[in-house]
Amino acid sequence: MIDSLCDQAGGQNVAVACFYFDFAARQEQSPTSILGALLKQLVVGLGEVPEEMTRAYEEQKNFIGGRRPRHTDIVKMLQAASSKKRTFICIDALDECVPEHRVKLLGSLNQVLQNSPATRIFVTGRPHIRPEIGRRLSGRVTSLPISTKTDDIIRYLHSRLEEDTTPDAMDSSLEADILRKIPEDVSEMYDM
Amino acid sequence: MTPLSSTQNPNSTASLPIIYNTLTCEKEKMPESFSHNTHSFNTISVSNHFTVADDRSNILAWLSPLDPKPRHQDIQDRRVENIGEWLLQTDEFRSWSASGGEGESGDAVLFCYGGPGVGKTYIR
Repeated sequence: MIDSLCDQAGGQNVAVACFYFDFAARQEQSPTSILGALLKQLVVGLGEVPEEMTRAYEEQKNFIGGRRPRHTDIVKMLQAASSKKRTFICIDALDECVPEHRVKLLGSLNQVLQNSPATRIFVTGRPHIRPEIGRRLSGRVTSLPISTKTDDIIRYLHSRLEEDTTPDAMDSSLEADILRKIPEDVSEMYDM
Repeated sequence: MTPLSSTQNPNSTASLPIIYNTLTCEKEKMPESFSHNTHSFNTISVSNHFTVADDRSNILAWLSPLDPKPRHQDIQDRRVENIGEWLLQTDEFRSWSASGGEGESGDAVLFCYGGPGVGKTYIR
Protein backbone atom coordinates (compact mmCIF):
# COMPACT_ATOMS: atom_id res chain seq x y z
CA MET A 1 0.00 0.00 0.00
CA ILE A 2 2.68 2.43 1.05
CA ASP A 3 4.81 1.59 -1.98
CA SER A 4 1.80 2.15 -4.22
CA LEU A 5 1.17 5.55 -2.69
CA CYS A 6 4.85 6.39 -3.10
CA ASP A 7 4.77 5.23 -6.74
CA GLN A 8 1.62 7.21 -7.33
CA ALA A 9 3.18 10.24 -5.71
CA GLY A 10 6.17 9.76 -8.03
CA GLY A 11 8.27 12.56 -6.64
CA GLN A 12 5.39 15.01 -6.54
CA ASN A 13 4.74 17.12 -3.52
CA VAL A 14 3.57 14.17 -1.45
CA ALA A 15 4.81 12.72 1.83
CA VAL A 16 4.00 9.22 3.10
CA ALA A 17 4.45 7.94 6.66
CA CYS A 18 3.55 4.52 8.00
CA PHE A 19 3.22 2.69 11.27
CA TYR A 20 2.74 -1.04 11.94
CA PHE A 21 1.20 -2.12 15.20
CA ASP A 22 2.62 -5.20 16.76
CA PHE A 23 0.90 -6.96 19.61
CA ALA A 24 4.25 -8.08 21.04
CA ALA A 25 5.54 -4.50 21.23
CA ARG A 26 2.30 -2.94 22.44
CA GLN A 27 3.83 -1.41 25.58
CA GLU A 28 6.57 0.55 23.78
CA GLN A 29 4.07 1.68 21.16
CA SER A 30 2.66 4.63 23.09
CA PRO A 31 0.60 7.31 21.30
CA THR A 32 3.43 9.83 21.67
CA SER A 33 6.10 7.54 20.28
CA ILE A 34 3.85 6.40 17.42
CA LEU A 35 3.05 9.96 16.35
CA GLY A 36 6.74 10.77 16.79
CA ALA A 37 7.65 7.91 14.45
CA LEU A 38 5.20 9.24 11.84
CA LEU A 39 6.60 12.74 12.26
CA LYS A 40 10.13 11.42 11.81
CA GLN A 41 9.24 10.04 8.39
CA LEU A 42 7.55 13.26 7.33
CA VAL A 43 10.62 15.24 8.35
CA VAL A 44 12.83 12.93 6.28
CA GLY A 45 10.40 13.50 3.37
CA LEU A 46 10.60 17.26 3.81
CA GLY A 47 14.33 17.06 3.23
CA GLU A 48 15.23 19.45 6.01
CA VAL A 49 14.45 19.72 9.70
CA PRO A 50 11.98 22.60 10.29
CA GLU A 51 13.55 25.46 12.20
CA GLU A 52 11.03 25.32 15.05
CA MET A 53 11.88 21.65 15.57
CA THR A 54 15.61 22.38 15.80
CA ARG A 55 14.80 25.11 18.31
CA ALA A 56 12.63 22.79 20.45
CA TYR A 57 15.41 20.20 20.33
CA GLU A 58 18.02 22.71 21.48
CA GLU A 59 15.75 23.97 24.28
CA GLN A 60 15.09 20.55 25.80
CA LYS A 61 18.85 20.07 26.22
CA ASN A 62 18.68 22.64 29.03
CA PHE A 63 16.77 20.15 31.16
CA ILE A 64 18.92 17.73 33.10
CA GLY A 65 19.35 14.64 30.94
CA GLY A 66 17.23 16.21 28.21
CA ARG A 67 13.51 15.83 27.85
CA ARG A 68 11.46 13.85 25.39
CA PRO A 69 8.96 15.86 23.36
CA ARG A 70 5.56 16.14 25.02
CA HIS A 71 2.50 14.73 23.34
CA THR A 72 1.04 18.16 22.58
CA ASP A 73 4.36 19.26 21.05
CA ILE A 74 4.44 16.22 18.77
CA VAL A 75 0.85 16.85 17.65
CA LYS A 76 1.66 20.49 16.89
CA MET A 77 4.77 19.55 14.92
CA LEU A 78 2.80 16.86 13.08
CA GLN A 79 0.13 19.40 12.17
CA ALA A 80 2.79 21.76 10.85
CA ALA A 81 4.66 19.04 8.91
CA SER A 82 1.53 17.60 7.30
CA SER A 83 0.42 21.04 6.11
CA LYS A 84 3.64 21.52 4.13
CA LYS A 85 2.98 18.68 1.69
CA ARG A 86 0.03 16.52 0.78
CA THR A 87 0.40 13.81 3.40
CA PHE A 88 -0.61 10.16 3.54
CA ILE A 89 -0.50 8.42 6.90
CA CYS A 90 -0.83 4.61 6.93
CA ILE A 91 -1.51 2.64 10.08
CA ASP A 92 -1.54 -1.14 10.01
CA ALA A 93 -3.32 -3.39 12.53
CA LEU A 94 -4.80 -0.64 14.70
CA ASP A 95 -6.76 -3.32 16.57
CA GLU A 96 -3.45 -4.51 18.07
CA CYS A 97 -3.03 -1.18 19.86
CA VAL A 98 -3.86 -0.97 23.59
CA PRO A 99 -7.45 0.45 23.77
CA GLU A 100 -6.46 3.45 25.94
CA HIS A 101 -3.65 4.30 23.53
CA ARG A 102 -6.02 3.96 20.61
CA VAL A 103 -8.41 6.57 22.03
CA LYS A 104 -5.58 9.06 22.44
CA LEU A 105 -4.01 8.26 19.07
CA LEU A 106 -7.26 8.64 17.13
CA GLY A 107 -8.03 11.88 18.98
CA SER A 108 -4.65 13.29 17.97
CA LEU A 109 -5.02 12.15 14.35
CA ASN A 110 -8.37 13.90 14.31
CA GLN A 111 -6.62 17.11 15.42
CA VAL A 112 -4.14 16.68 12.57
CA LEU A 113 -7.00 16.20 10.09
CA GLN A 114 -8.77 19.30 11.32
CA ASN A 115 -5.62 21.33 10.91
CA SER A 116 -4.60 19.96 7.51
CA PRO A 117 -7.79 18.73 5.78
CA ALA A 118 -5.88 17.48 2.70
CA THR A 119 -4.15 14.79 4.78
CA ARG A 120 -5.31 11.25 4.02
CA ILE A 121 -5.22 8.41 6.54
CA PHE A 122 -5.24 4.72 5.65
CA VAL A 123 -6.01 2.28 8.46
CA THR A 124 -6.25 -1.51 8.56
CA GLY A 125 -7.68 -3.58 11.39
CA ARG A 126 -10.21 -6.15 12.42
CA PRO A 127 -13.90 -5.25 11.97
CA HIS A 128 -14.67 -4.66 15.66
CA ILE A 129 -12.84 -1.32 15.79
CA ARG A 130 -14.85 0.09 12.91
CA PRO A 131 -17.43 2.03 15.00
CA GLU A 132 -14.68 3.48 17.17
CA ILE A 133 -12.74 4.77 14.14
CA GLY A 134 -15.88 6.40 12.74
CA ARG A 135 -16.64 8.06 16.06
CA ARG A 136 -13.13 9.33 16.85
CA LEU A 137 -12.39 10.59 13.36
CA SER A 138 -15.49 12.76 13.06
CA GLY A 139 -17.24 10.32 10.75
CA ARG A 140 -15.02 11.13 7.78
CA VAL A 141 -14.36 7.44 7.16
CA THR A 142 -14.92 5.15 4.17
CA SER A 143 -14.82 1.47 5.12
CA LEU A 144 -13.83 -1.30 2.77
CA PRO A 145 -13.87 -5.01 3.57
CA ILE A 146 -10.70 -6.93 2.70
CA SER A 147 -10.96 -10.57 1.76
CA THR A 148 -8.52 -12.99 0.26
CA LYS A 149 -9.15 -13.05 -3.47
CA THR A 150 -8.72 -16.32 -5.35
CA ASP A 151 -6.51 -14.55 -7.90
CA ASP A 152 -4.19 -13.46 -5.13
CA ILE A 153 -3.95 -16.98 -3.73
CA ILE A 154 -3.08 -18.38 -7.16
CA ARG A 155 -0.50 -15.63 -7.65
CA TYR A 156 1.03 -16.45 -4.31
CA LEU A 157 1.11 -20.20 -5.08
CA HIS A 158 2.82 -19.58 -8.43
CA SER A 159 5.50 -17.52 -6.77
CA ARG A 160 6.10 -20.19 -4.12
CA LEU A 161 6.22 -22.97 -6.72
CA GLU A 162 8.87 -21.02 -8.63
CA GLU A 163 10.97 -20.97 -5.48
CA ASP A 164 10.63 -24.74 -5.04
CA THR A 165 13.98 -26.15 -3.99
CA THR A 166 13.14 -29.69 -5.21
CA PRO A 167 11.60 -29.08 -8.64
CA ASP A 168 12.28 -32.70 -9.69
CA ALA A 169 9.56 -33.88 -7.32
CA MET A 170 7.05 -31.71 -9.16
CA ASP A 171 5.14 -32.61 -12.29
CA SER A 172 2.42 -30.79 -14.15
CA SER A 173 -0.44 -32.83 -12.68
CA LEU A 174 0.72 -32.23 -9.09
CA GLU A 175 1.10 -28.54 -9.84
CA ALA A 176 -2.41 -28.40 -11.30
CA ASP A 177 -3.73 -30.17 -8.19
CA ILE A 178 -2.04 -27.65 -5.91
CA LEU A 179 -3.37 -24.70 -7.87
CA ARG A 180 -6.89 -26.12 -7.77
CA LYS A 181 -7.13 -27.56 -4.25
CA ILE A 182 -5.51 -24.90 -2.10
CA PRO A 183 -7.66 -21.95 -3.30
CA GLU A 184 -10.72 -24.15 -2.75
CA ASP A 185 -9.74 -24.93 0.83
CA VAL A 186 -8.86 -21.32 1.57
CA SER A 187 -12.24 -20.22 0.25
CA GLU A 188 -13.95 -22.61 2.65
CA MET A 189 -11.79 -21.36 5.52
CA TYR A 190 -12.71 -17.71 4.98
CA ASP A 191 -16.16 -18.41 3.62
CA MET A 192 -15.50 -16.42 0.47
CA MET B 1 53.44 19.57 13.77
CA THR B 2 50.39 21.31 12.31
CA PRO B 3 47.70 22.83 14.52
CA LEU B 4 45.41 20.03 13.35
CA SER B 5 47.47 17.14 14.64
CA SER B 6 44.87 16.34 17.34
CA THR B 7 42.78 14.49 14.72
CA GLN B 8 45.63 12.11 14.07
CA ASN B 9 46.08 11.25 17.72
CA PRO B 10 44.80 7.68 18.18
CA ASN B 11 44.36 8.24 21.91
CA SER B 12 42.05 11.15 21.39
CA THR B 13 38.66 10.46 22.95
CA ALA B 14 37.18 13.81 21.98
CA SER B 15 33.76 13.55 20.39
CA LEU B 16 33.15 14.88 16.90
CA PRO B 17 31.52 18.20 17.89
CA ILE B 18 34.43 18.96 20.17
CA ILE B 19 36.87 18.14 17.41
CA TYR B 20 34.85 20.35 15.13
CA ASN B 21 34.94 23.27 17.54
CA THR B 22 38.62 22.75 18.05
CA LEU B 23 39.18 22.75 14.33
CA THR B 24 37.20 25.90 13.70
CA CYS B 25 39.04 27.69 16.51
CA GLU B 26 42.37 26.50 15.15
CA LYS B 27 41.37 27.69 11.73
CA GLU B 28 40.53 31.13 13.03
CA LYS B 29 43.82 31.32 14.88
CA MET B 30 45.67 29.94 11.92
CA PRO B 31 48.25 32.33 10.50
CA GLU B 32 47.98 33.34 6.87
CA SER B 33 50.87 31.09 5.97
CA PHE B 34 48.74 28.02 6.70
CA SER B 35 45.91 28.91 4.38
CA HIS B 36 47.51 27.07 1.44
CA ASN B 37 47.38 23.83 3.42
CA THR B 38 44.54 22.14 1.55
CA HIS B 39 44.71 19.01 3.66
CA SER B 40 43.70 20.98 6.74
CA PHE B 41 40.78 22.56 4.96
CA ASN B 42 39.54 19.21 3.73
CA THR B 43 39.54 17.93 7.26
CA ILE B 44 37.58 20.93 8.41
CA SER B 45 34.88 20.61 5.77
CA VAL B 46 34.45 16.88 6.45
CA SER B 47 33.97 17.50 10.16
CA ASN B 48 31.50 20.23 9.41
CA HIS B 49 29.46 17.84 7.28
CA PHE B 50 29.39 15.20 10.02
CA THR B 51 28.22 17.69 12.60
CA VAL B 52 25.19 18.70 10.53
CA ALA B 53 24.26 15.08 9.74
CA ASP B 54 24.77 14.23 13.38
CA ASP B 55 22.39 16.94 14.55
CA ARG B 56 19.73 15.81 12.12
CA SER B 57 19.86 12.19 13.24
CA ASN B 58 19.91 13.30 16.88
CA ILE B 59 16.74 15.31 16.32
CA LEU B 60 15.06 12.41 14.54
CA ALA B 61 16.00 10.02 17.34
CA TRP B 62 14.69 12.51 19.89
CA LEU B 63 11.27 12.64 18.17
CA SER B 64 10.65 8.95 18.78
CA PRO B 65 12.53 5.83 19.83
CA LEU B 66 10.47 3.76 17.37
CA ASP B 67 11.58 2.98 13.85
CA PRO B 68 8.96 1.33 11.61
CA LYS B 69 11.32 1.02 8.65
CA PRO B 70 12.64 -2.53 9.32
CA ARG B 71 9.08 -3.83 9.56
CA HIS B 72 8.16 -2.11 6.29
CA GLN B 73 11.16 -3.64 4.53
CA ASP B 74 10.33 -7.07 5.91
CA ILE B 75 6.80 -6.84 4.47
CA GLN B 76 8.16 -5.53 1.17
CA ASP B 77 10.47 -8.55 0.93
CA ARG B 78 7.78 -11.08 1.73
CA ARG B 79 5.03 -9.66 -0.40
CA VAL B 80 4.33 -11.25 -3.78
CA GLU B 81 4.21 -8.71 -6.61
CA ASN B 82 0.72 -7.44 -7.49
CA ILE B 83 -1.02 -9.14 -4.57
CA GLY B 84 -4.07 -7.12 -3.57
CA GLU B 85 -3.90 -4.93 -6.61
CA TRP B 86 -7.68 -5.15 -6.91
CA LEU B 87 -7.90 -2.76 -3.96
CA LEU B 88 -6.25 0.02 -5.95
CA GLN B 89 -8.93 -0.35 -8.61
CA THR B 90 -11.87 0.07 -6.22
CA ASP B 91 -13.93 3.26 -6.33
CA GLU B 92 -13.39 3.61 -2.59
CA PHE B 93 -9.61 3.68 -2.89
CA ARG B 94 -9.61 5.92 -5.94
CA SER B 95 -11.83 8.58 -4.50
CA TRP B 96 -10.03 8.46 -1.15
CA SER B 97 -6.55 8.89 -2.64
CA ALA B 98 -7.65 11.52 -5.16
CA SER B 99 -9.69 13.65 -2.76
CA GLY B 100 -8.35 16.32 -0.49
CA GLY B 101 -7.23 18.70 -3.20
CA GLU B 102 -8.08 22.34 -2.96
CA GLY B 103 -11.72 22.97 -2.11
CA GLU B 104 -12.49 19.26 -2.14
CA SER B 105 -13.88 17.46 0.83
CA GLY B 106 -14.45 13.69 0.69
CA ASP B 107 -13.63 11.18 3.41
CA ALA B 108 -10.16 11.67 4.82
CA VAL B 109 -9.91 8.15 6.21
CA LEU B 110 -10.00 4.79 4.46
CA PHE B 111 -10.48 1.88 6.85
CA CYS B 112 -9.78 -1.57 5.40
CA TYR B 113 -11.06 -4.27 7.67
CA GLY B 114 -11.00 -8.01 7.70
CA GLY B 115 -10.45 -11.00 9.95
CA PRO B 116 -7.04 -12.26 11.03
CA GLY B 117 -4.86 -13.60 8.23
CA VAL B 118 -6.80 -12.32 5.21
CA GLY B 119 -3.77 -10.26 4.18
CA LYS B 120 -4.56 -6.71 5.28
CA THR B 121 -0.89 -5.98 5.84
CA TYR B 122 0.18 -7.24 2.43
CA ILE B 123 -2.24 -5.44 0.15
CA ARG B 124 -0.25 -3.66 -2.48
